[in-house]
Amino acid sequence: MSSDCLIEIGTEELPPRALQSLAQNFASLVTQALADHSLAPGSVEVFATPRRLAMLLRDTPLQQAEQLIEKRGPALDGAFDADGNPSRAALGFAASCGVDIDKLERRKTEKGSWLYFCKTQAGRSLQDLLPELVAAALTSLPIPKRMRWGDRSEVFVRPVKWLVLMVGSEVVEAEIFGLRSGNRSFGHRFHAPMALEIPSASEYEEILLSQGWVIASFDQRRDTIRNLVEQDATRLGGIAKIDDALLDEVTALVEYPVSVCGEFDAEFLELPVEVLVSTMQENQKYFALFDGKGEMLPHFIAISNIDSRKPEMVVSGNERVIRPRFADAGFFFAQDQKQGLDLMRIRLDAVVFQDKLGSLGDKTNRIIRLAKYIASYADVDQDLVRRAADLSKADLMSDMVGEFPKLQGVMGCYYARHQQEEQSVCDAIEQHYWPRHAGDRVPRDPIAQAVALADRLDSLIGIFAIGEKPGGDKDPFALRRAALGVLRIIVENQLTLDLADLCQVAADGYFRQVDAKAAIAEVIEYVFDRQRAYYQEQNIGFDVVDAVAYSRPGMLYDCDLRIRAVQEFQSHEAAPALAAANKRISNILKKQEHVEPDVDTGLLQEKAEKLLFKQLQALKQGVAKQVSGGAYLKGLEQLAELRPAVDTFFDEVMVMVDDAALQNNRLALLDQLLQSFRLVADFSRIKS
Amino acid sequence: MSELPATDLSSFQGLIQTLQNYWSDQGCVILQPLDMEVGAGTFHPATFIRAIGPEPWRAAYVQPSRRPTDGRYGENPNRLQHYFQFQVLLKPSPDNFQELYLGSLEALGFDTLVHDIRFVEDDWESPTLGAWGLGWEIWLNGMEVSQFTYFQQIGGLECQPVSGEITYGIERLAMYLQGVDSIFDLVWGRGPQGVVTYGDIYHQNEVEQSTYNFELADTDALFHWFDVCEAQCQLLVEKRLPLPAYEQVMKASHAFNLLDARHAISVTERQRFILRVRSLSRSVAECYYETREALGFPLIKKDVADE
Repeated sequence: MSSDCLIEIGTEELPPRALQSLAQNFASLVTQALADHSLAPGSVEVFATPRRLAMLLRDTPLQQAEQLIEKRGPALDGAFDADGNPSRAALGFAASCGVDIDKLERRKTEKGSWLYFCKTQAGRSLQDLLPELVAAALTSLPIPKRMRWGDRSEVFVRPVKWLVLMVGSEVVEAEIFGLRSGNRSFGHRFHAPMALEIPSASEYEEILLSQGWVIASFDQRRDTIRNLVEQDATRLGGIAKIDDALLDEVTALVEYPVSVCGEFDAEFLELPVEVLVSTMQENQKYFALFDGKGEMLPHFIAISNIDSRKPEMVVSGNERVIRPRFADAGFFFAQDQKQGLDLMRIRLDAVVFQDKLGSLGDKTNRIIRLAKYIASYADVDQDLVRRAADLSKADLMSDMVGEFPKLQGVMGCYYARHQQEEQSVCDAIEQHYWPRHAGDRVPRDPIAQAVALADRLDSLIGIFAIGEKPGGDKDPFALRRAALGVLRIIVENQLTLDLADLCQVAADGYFRQVDAKAAIAEVIEYVFDRQRAYYQEQNIGFDVVDAVAYSRPGMLYDCDLRIRAVQEFQSHEAAPALAAANKRISNILKKQEHVEPDVDTGLLQEKAEKLLFKQLQALKQGVAKQVSGGAYLKGLEQLAELRPAVDTFFDEVMVMVDDAALQNNRLALLDQLLQSFRLVADFSRIKS
Repeated sequence: MSELPATDLSSFQGLIQTLQNYWSDQGCVILQPLDMEVGAGTFHPATFIRAIGPEPWRAAYVQPSRRPTDGRYGENPNRLQHYFQFQVLLKPSPDNFQELYLGSLEALGFDTLVHDIRFVEDDWESPTLGAWGLGWEIWLNGMEVSQFTYFQQIGGLECQPVSGEITYGIERLAMYLQGVDSIFDLVWGRGPQGVVTYGDIYHQNEVEQSTYNFELADTDALFHWFDVCEAQCQLLVEKRLPLPAYEQVMKASHAFNLLDARHAISVTERQRFILRVRSLSRSVAECYYETREALGFPLIKKDVADE
C-alpha cells in the first residue's frame, strides 16, 4: 500500500539565492529519512517559492513491514547455576525486556550460547513517523543564517507561517515550530490571500496554480520567466541578456511572474555598457536588451509578482527608479575620471591588503617587480609593464568599483583609456583579472599575462607564508582560482616559465613583510593539485598527470606537452604492454640497492637480451633527440617499437638468476630501458 | 480597524500624520524625535534601548537622520545629509508583522493589487551598535521604500524576545505619491502664501551643512570630542547611569561620522574607531539590562495587567 505524501512549510519571504538549495536539501533529508525507515517514496517532486518549501512524495509506502527485534542477554554459562536457577544478571535482563525469564530463548551458536529476547513488532505507519522525520529534517537543514522571531525560541531561515502535512487526502497530525499541521495552504500574498484547502496531496500543484496564483515548481517558473523575457525582447526588436544567476534570482523572488517593459533616456547609453548592465542586473534585477549588432537598447524587462490592475503604474514606477540609479552611476563615472588613476593609485597606500602583508600599495609595488621579471623573457617595453602593473589595482579606489565590485579591471581600463594610456596598458589593467571564472578566456597579451601572473603569485606566496593556506570552503583570497589561473595562463599561452623560479622571485618581494621562503614549495605543490583537477576536467586521469608532473614540479608548459603526448600514446596498441613492463621493471629495480650504470655486452648471453640491448641502443639517441625537441609523442612512438623485444625478453630471460654478474647486467639493461621511457614520463605510474 | 481620520496625502506632513495615525491604532506610542544628531532612527533610545531585555514595547516616531558623507550641497535631487526616517518598533514582533506593514502602505493609498510590492532579502548589521538582524528591503515597483528587520542581537545581547523594526524612507514614499523627481520639490505643507516645499525648508541647510561637514568641521576638536565622549560614557556606565551613558555613545558616533566625512580617518583606523564605539554600546546595553532587571522589568507587569 502506498500513497502520495505532501509536505509544505509556509514562510515569510525566503532569501532568493538560498531558496533552491533549501528546498532540495529539505527534500533529500526527508527522502533519506524515509528510506532509512524502509518507506522510500517512488519519486519526489520539489517545490520552492519565496513563501514556501514543499515536496510531493509520490508512491510512499504507508506502513513499515513487521520488524523482528532481537536482544542478546548474558551468556548461558553465567545465566543459570548448576541447579538451573537464574542468576541476577539473567533476571535483570528479563526485567529490562519486560518479560519473565522463561520467555527468553536459549540459543546456541558456533561462537557460544546466550540468552536471547526475540519478538516481532508491528511496523510503524507513515502517518505516525512523518511528524518526527519532518521536524528532524528541518532542524538539520543547513542554513547559513538562522533567526528567531517574536517570543519564540525556534530558529529557522525566516518566520514560519503554516504547515501542510498530508498523506493522500488525510491530514497528518503534527506540531512543528508551534504550528498545527493541516490541509490549508496559502496562495499568492495579494491575488489569493485566503486559505486554500488541498483536497489531496497529489492535487497540490494544480490547486496552487488554478486557485492560488502560484507556480509552485521552481523550474517551471523559471521557464515561464525565460519565455516572457524572450517574447518581450522580440517584440521590442532586441535580444535579452539572460544570465543564469539573474534568472534564478528573479525566479526566487516571485510566485506569479508577470513581465514589465520599461524605457530609459537614450542619453544614458553613453555610459559604459558594463555599468548599465550591472545597475540593471544587480540593483534592480532587470534584464537588459541588445540589438542584433550587440548595441544596448534603451529598454529593460522586469519581472513583477503581480498581474496589476493598472500595469502602467508598475511600468512608470520602475522607470522612475532606474533613472536616478543611472544618474548616480553617471556621477560616479564622471567623478572617477576627474580623479584619475594616478591619484587612486596613491590612495592604495592607505588600504590594507592583509594585516601582515602590507597595503594594497605595497602589493602593487611587488606586482611591478615580479611582472617586470616575468616579462623580461618577452619582447615588450618594460616601461609599459611597469605602468600597467602600477595602475592595475588603482580602480579599486574608484566610486564605481565600490558600487559594483565585479567591474574591477573593467573600470580601470575605461579610466586608463580616458587618460590616454597606451592601449596595451589599458588592456592589461582589464585583462590581468582573466580568467575570472571557469571557462573564461586567458589574457593573450604578454604585458597582461605578466601582470596577471604576478598578481596571483604574489597573493599565493604571501597568504601561504602567513599560514592562511585555503582549506575546506575557507578561501577568502580565492587562491584556488588564483592557482588555476596561473596554470591556465602559462599552459594555454605556451609560456616556458618555471614556476619554482617565479615563486622564488615572488617570495623575495616580501622581504619587507615576512619570510616567505617556506611558502615556495607549498605553492608549487598547491598548483600541482590544481594541475590534476585541470586535466581531469579534460578527461585525462590523475595517473597520467602524476607520471609526468611528479618529477617535474613547476614546469607547467613542458608538463602539458608531455601529459598530452602520454595521453595520446595511451591509445597506441603497444601502450598497455609497455606500461605493464615499466611497472614490472620498476618493481624489480625498487628492491635493488645498486644498479650498474652500464651494460656489459660480454655478459649478454640469451638471444632475447642481446636483441633488446641492440634495439635499445639503436633507438636511444633518436628518442633523446625527439624528447629534447619537445616531440614527446614521436619519442614514445619510437620506443613503442621495442615492444616485441621487451615481450620476448620477459618470456625467455630470467632476470634474477643465481649468477650475480649476469643478474646485475640484466638489471642494468632493464634500468636503461626504464630510463629511456622516463625521458618522457614515469610509465610505471600509469594505471592499466 | 478603526476609521482613520482624513489626512492629506498630497503633502509630506500629511504622510507623516497618516503613518502616525495608523501605527497609533496598532498600539504604538507615538514618540517625538530624539533631540540629538543620529545617523538613523535605530539610534533613538525608543529602539536601541527598548529592544534590550524582555519588556514588551511598541513605538513609532519620525527621526531626523544625519549622514554627513551623503551631503551633496543640495545639488543631488535624491541625496541629503539630513533627512527623515519614520521608525516603528514592535516587541515582540507579532505574527502579522508583514500584514501590518502592508496595511500601512494601503493607508498611504497604495493598492496592493495595483503596485508590485516585494519583500527582498536584506540583512542588517550595525557594527557600532553591536547589532544585527535579518529581514528585507521592501520594493514598491522596484523602488526600495522601507527596511524590515527582525533584531537578533543588540549591543551584543541576544534579543529575547525579538523586536521587529520597520524603517520607512518617507521622502521616497512622498516623492512617489506626489510624482516629483526631486526631494526639494516635495510639498511639505500649505500655508497662507501657498505651498511650502521641502526645499524651502531645507535647501539652504543642505548647502551650508555640506560645506561644514566636508570643509570646515574642526577635526582636531572632533578627535578630542570623541575621546571625551568615550571617557564620559565609561564613567557613566560605572555610575550605573545607562541612559546618559548612551547619549555619549551617540555623540561619539556622530563625531566619528563627521571625521569620516572629512576623510580624517584612514582605513585601518576606521576599524579601530568602530570597535571603540561598539565596546561602548555593549557596556551601555549590559548596564541598561541590569538596571531594568533591578527594577523588576516593570513593563512586563503592565503588559500582563492589560490582558
